[in-house]
Order: sequence, then C-alpha cells, then structure tokens
Amino acid sequence: MEDLTIDDLDNISTGSDDHVQITPAEVIEMMEEAWTNEKFAPEILPNKSEIVDIILDQITTMEENIKKLSSSDFTKSIYQLEVDRLRFLVSSYLRTRLEKIETYVIHILKEEEKRVERGSEKYLTEQEFEFAKEFSFTMEQYFDKMMRFYPGVPADTWSNKIIQPNNNTFVFLKSKKRIEGVPIDEGNAESDLVDIQDGSRVIISYNSVAELVKNGDVHLI
Amino acid sequence: MYGENGYTLIKELARSEDNLPPYNAELVTHISREIKKIYDENQIDAQQSINENIEASILNTIRVRNAVTKRNVRCLMAYHFNRLKCLRTMRWEFGSILPADIKSNLSTAEIEWFSKYSRLLANYMRSIGEDGVNLSIDLKPPKALYIEVQCLVDYGKFDLNDGTTLLLKKDSRHYLPRNECEELIRQGVFKHII
Repeated sequence: MEDLTIDDLDNISTGSDDHVQITPAEVIEMMEEAWTNEKFAPEILPNKSEIVDIILDQITTMEENIKKLSSSDFTKSIYQLEVDRLRFLVSSYLRTRLEKIETYVIHILKEEEKRVERGSEKYLTEQEFEFAKEFSFTMEQYFDKMMRFYPGVPADTWSNKIIQPNNNTFVFLKSKKRIEGVPIDEGNAESDLVDIQDGSRVIISYNSVAELVKNGDVHLI
Repeated sequence: MYGENGYTLIKELARSEDNLPPYNAELVTHISREIKKIYDENQIDAQQSINENIEASILNTIRVRNAVTKRNVRCLMAYHFNRLKCLRTMRWEFGSILPADIKSNLSTAEIEWFSKYSRLLANYMRSIGEDGVNLSIDLKPPKALYIEVQCLVDYGKFDLNDGTTLLLKKDSRHYLPRNECEELIRQGVFKHII
C-alpha cells in the first residue's frame, strides 16, 4: 500500500545536490531507520534534518493532493492514513530527540561545544541547539531563584551533578554489512573481538557499536 | 533531628507518583532556615578553631554539620527538579493552559517556569520545517483513521474540520477522526472505546 500511495501522490526527487535520485519509499525507509536508531540509542545521535525536511515536504504535498479527492473516494481514507503514519513517524522522532535534549541538556551542550571546537559535524540542528540553550537557561534561572534565600552557602547548583546517558546499556542491532573486529568491551585494550556477519542480529553494549550506528553500518532494532 | 525535614519533603513527593502535590512552601522555608542556621553555627565554630587550638570534637561537629547542609541542599534540589519534570509531562498532556486545580498546587516560580517552557516548546515546534509541526499531537502510533469514543461530560458543541458540528452529551458515543479527538481524549472529555 505504501508504494501505491507514494507513487500516486507525488514525484519528489531528492538529493539534488549530488544528483542522486532517491525514491520517496527509500526516504521513508531512511526515516524509519533514523527513528528506531534514535529510539534505542541511549545518547543523542547526529541529526537527520535533511530526511525530516523531505518527509515534511512530502506530507504537505500529499495533504494537498488529498484535498482534491472527493470525500466519497475510497482511496482518500487510505491516503489519509498514510499521511497520519508519516506524521507520527516524524513527530515521534523529533519528540524522542527533545526528550533526550531535556534530560541530558548540560551534557549535550558540552559535547556539542567540543564538536564545534574540533570542527566536526554538529549533532543538533540549529533549532534544537537554540532550544537546548534556552532550556538550560530557564533551568538555571529557576534554580538560582530557589537557592537565593540563603546567601553564603556554597553554591551546589543543579548543573554540578550532570545527568549523563548510560552508554553501557545493551542494544539489539541488525547489521547491514560484514564488520570485523568489534571489541566486546570497548575501552578495554584486551577485550575480545567479535565479527558481525552481514544481516545478523546481535545484542551488544552500545559503547562498542556507537560509531557503527552513527555511520549507518548497523541498525538498532 | 537534623535533615529530617528534607526527608519528609522528598517522601511526600515520591508518594504521589502521577499527580503533583501542593507546593510545600512551609517545609521548604523550614529547611532553608535549618540550612542557614547550621551554616552560621559552623562558621562561628570554624572561626574559633582557627583562632584557638583545634579541638578534635569541634572538627567532628563541623564535619557533621557540613554533611547535613549538603544533604539538605540536595533534598531541596531534588524536590524542585522532580516537580519540574512532572510539570513538563503535564505540558505535553494538557497543552499550554493548565487546569485550575493543578495550577493552584504550584508555586509562583513554577508557574513562571511553566510558561517559559511552554513558550520555548512552541517556538521550537514553529521552527521545524516550513510552517512548523505540532509535536503534541500524534502521540500514539495511528492504527485506524476513525476511532469510537464515548463522551464523559456534557461538553456542548464541537466543530469538526470538515465543518460539521456535533453536540457532545454525556454518555453519547461518536465515531470520529482520530486526529481530531486526540486532544479531547487527553483532556478527559472523551474515552476511547477499544
């Protein structure tokens, strides 16, 4: 049903920068992957704002096309359901990211700063970064107000105890290609290595595969 | 006993899991007064121990007092932080306007924080994509386009997106588009019949 809807309703071509054509079905697949990855990874992942933008465009186009259909048309409800699904996908993805930003705000801002210094790719989108900054500011303001009435007491601010994501949790993943020599116990030089076969499913500590998730070699499930 | 109030405060919040208990301003002031008192006592004693020969007994007292101060501060922080977390969940549930009975349980600072957070979230949602995405709908994966709901209160007239107007009475049942009644379900006007 997915193919029918998408082929019928729009003809969005993407990736115009490098002139690679991606079909809408592929974009949705990428979005789904980004969503599950974000859902199961303990830390925040690099943003996929390009895919999100494409999907949002697609939703708008589809909604416009739906309006043209008469309400007695049976296909209309099917298209509508598809749009609803897409919308859930995108908003759930963005919500998951927001939740992580709120919980780990100080940690994330610090990491982001380091990434800027190193000149490497940013994880947050501009809007998310703005949100994170403002959010930590309101928290600080609030706690300043709470602690104001005993001057002189050593400042034990809320930001002293940083909440960090637990990157040692175990995750399920599906590999997209053959990967050799993944350390089971990341950070331990004598750790055993494991080879992951193409298409195999593995349960492993997130630490060991964080990089693989970020560059898209494996897919969290 | 020192530190007891802090414990009571945390206990009170922990006991009511889902709903927010009234802001316990009395206990909070009590604790902050305790902190201040202990802190002042400590300073005097510390000053004394510098001026005179250090007595082991005073040192221990200072240490215990310091621990109490720290613990009290942590309790206060935890209390306030967890209340904010609860408030945040409410923003997602009720939208930017809080029901009056919840609002009466909050302190002024909390209400202020809530409106700031609310504004922040709205700004963020407006900034995504070209004309913004409302993230507070579509909270659950859609299974069907229409759902059956039962009205729990006398709500009055309700306009649907396609222009038809419904009269929502108590105990009446309707078959409506899911995305239009999601918010009413969360507000407790509708009950979703599965």
